[in-house]
Amino acid sequence: MKKILRIMIIILVTVFTVSCTDNKPSNEFTIATWAAGTELSEFNAIVKDVNEAAMGKYVIKTLSIPSDYYIKLSTQIAGNKAPEFFWLTQELISKYADLGAITDLTPYLEQSESLNVDDYYEGVINSAKFNDQYWGLPWIANPFIVYYNKTMFQTLGVEAPTATDDWSWDDFIAISRQIAGKTYRDKQVYATVIEGNPNIETFIWSGGGDILDEDGKTVLLDSEGTVKGISNLVTLFRENLIPQYNSISYARNVYFERQEVAMYMGGIQDDFEKKILLMPEEDRFELGYAPIPTDPNGQSNPFDWTASTVMSTRVKDKDLAYEALEALTLAFFTWKIAPPIKGSIDNIGVIAPEKIPALDTIQHALDNARSANYTELWTIISDTYLWRGLYMPILQNPNVDYVDLIQKAASGIRSKIGD
Amino acid sequence: MKKRKSAGIYFVLPWVIGFILFTLLPMIAAVFISFTDWSIVGSNTQWIGLANYREIFQAEQFWHALWITFRYAIIAIPLVIVTSFTVSVMLSKNIRHVGIYRVIYYMPAIVSGVAVSIVFRWILDPNNGLINFMLSWLGINGPNWLYDPEWVLPSYLIMAVWGAGGGILTYLSALKDVPTSLYESAEMDGANQFQKTWYITVPMMTPIIFYNLIIGIISAFRKFTDAYVLGGAGGEGEFYMVYLYEQAFAHYKMGYATALAWILFIVIMFLTVIVNVSKKFWVHTA
Repeated sequence: MKKILRIMIIILVTVFTVSCTDNKPSNEFTIATWAAGTELSEFNAIVKDVNEAAMGKYVIKTLSIPSDYYIKLSTQIAGNKAPEFFWLTQELISKYADLGAITDLTPYLEQSESLNVDDYYEGVINSAKFNDQYWGLPWIANPFIVYYNKTMFQTLGVEAPTATDDWSWDDFIAISRQIAGKTYRDKQVYATVIEGNPNIETFIWSGGGDILDEDGKTVLLDSEGTVKGISNLVTLFRENLIPQYNSISYARNVYFERQEVAMYMGGIQDDFEKKILLMPEEDRFELGYAPIPTDPNGQSNPFDWTASTVMSTRVKDKDLAYEALEALTLAFFTWKIAPPIKGSIDNIGVIAPEKIPALDTIQHALDNARSANYTELWTIISDTYLWRGLYMPILQNPNVDYVDLIQKAASGIRSKIGD
Repeated sequence: MKKRKSAGIYFVLPWVIGFILFTLLPMIAAVFISFTDWSIVGSNTQWIGLANYREIFQAEQFWHALWITFRYAIIAIPLVIVTSFTVSVMLSKNIRHVGIYRVIYYMPAIVSGVAVSIVFRWILDPNNGLINFMLSWLGINGPNWLYDPEWVLPSYLIMAVWGAGGGILTYLSALKDVPTSLYESAEMDGANQFQKTWYITVPMMTPIIFYNLIIGIISAFRKFTDAYVLGGAGGEGEFYMVYLYEQAFAHYKMGYATALAWILFIVIMFLTVIVNVSKKFWVHTA
């Protein structure tokens, strides 16, 4: 009996030891990606090219996690099996950095001859910044622009915005008033549709307000600018310029594609160009582009969604790893729209020729792109105070006392971050 | 004799080791984790005592999620019990093709929760969904279901009733065990069909109703798959387990989420004990 127990304990200890041992060569790196299908094939082709160019100096392997990406990733990190590189969206970088899961890339960026902070659009690289350090290399930028139905504007006799000239939120609301309630193609149309997107940041910034200061520790939410910005959102609902939240019954983009709304605020990756081409000829319409309207200071603030590749802290040879990471990132710049680096706007025309008419607006958006000032507590701030405490109550009841909501949300954030 | 005894130990050993490794140790670890600020990603885990529990009871979201779940449970559990019991009584009759009907009613129980949720996303679609399409035949403009906060709960109740067939297996087997002599005596006394059901079938079925009530409480409070897939406007689809999951994997508050899991365990245990205590008043055990 004792002998068998001893054997079993030895087997268990051996299994544990073997499973916990990392025998990976120090020049072999794994990158975790959420890419799948065609995107994954394109991704693998890029990785293959980078590996060939490295001529054995390092080898990058792909780990595709197309579903529950962050859950599997965090589980791997917890199990001390984190991939050397992985993709993170902007709001999580501060969290992972604060928890010590990713490497500070600032010294490498400063020394690099191929890729520096200045190469990036300022608003894009700032999304990978936390505590004045850079924790990731952005490989894609997706700032908001305004798509509009040029055909509808012409038919209704409404003057359309231009591709790059700034227009204010007052202009946006004035145009919305001219459109909403009119009949177009036998349907009553609205100016746009809002159901939680565009995000609350877009409206907070629209009045010149903000959520946190650049230090990520000072709460700016209860400023006059925020009140003005949220009043823009509330006006759209209260004046029935957009469908009421409870009446929205399909995805926001579908409203635009069915020509039930005249404008759509979304990222430059939204593929309306291709979708319109696939429509029956009688349903097609001409697409127009305009920048996100400006705040009272004349500044357009298009929210930018960015993903970065980060390096795990468990990487052994960090210098070599950064070399591989940089080579991979440079290769990504010719893959996705929009490349997050300056002077690459023409690449968009090569990658997606249907986007050529939008290039001027995209350039304008990239020049002005920004994200929030993130803190390690951002996911909680965003979910608890901005969404549940502010945005959702307004969506459900536009007549709510939104100034009170703003003050309560600001107070909640202050107590959370100890401002 | 001694040798025979030790042979038995060898046979149960794999199960015991599995239980210790994959059930007992994780449970002990979960108690410990609930008193820490473990984030799953980070390595600087600290013992924070009861801070997670204090934070939970102060969080509006916790009470909201608990209320959403409790409200659902209090309506869905009796609704499902009544539905599955009624269907079972009907399916226990000797009607033609009863086997086919039994298979049809039981089928929802064997379909994956995710698949069911995806099908219901279409069924409840306000524009192209089956329910609103059928309501339009009656000239009714159907609601927005999951897109309208006021219709989120009814949407989940429809799904619960649809899945009520899962309980019919136990009811059917119990119905077979009701002595026919009881019905015969009742008939001789002039009882009608309703009286036979109310005074004989229902009391005889109370042990199975009790069992299904306990299972119903557990599954209602642990509702996750369809709520996670379908959600619901205005936060009305945020059931307790969804809240727990978000805290663990969206906010990386694993210690907090583990504390939530223990609170859920206590809530379920409390309700189960209450039901168990009430058993002597309504469960027929003779």
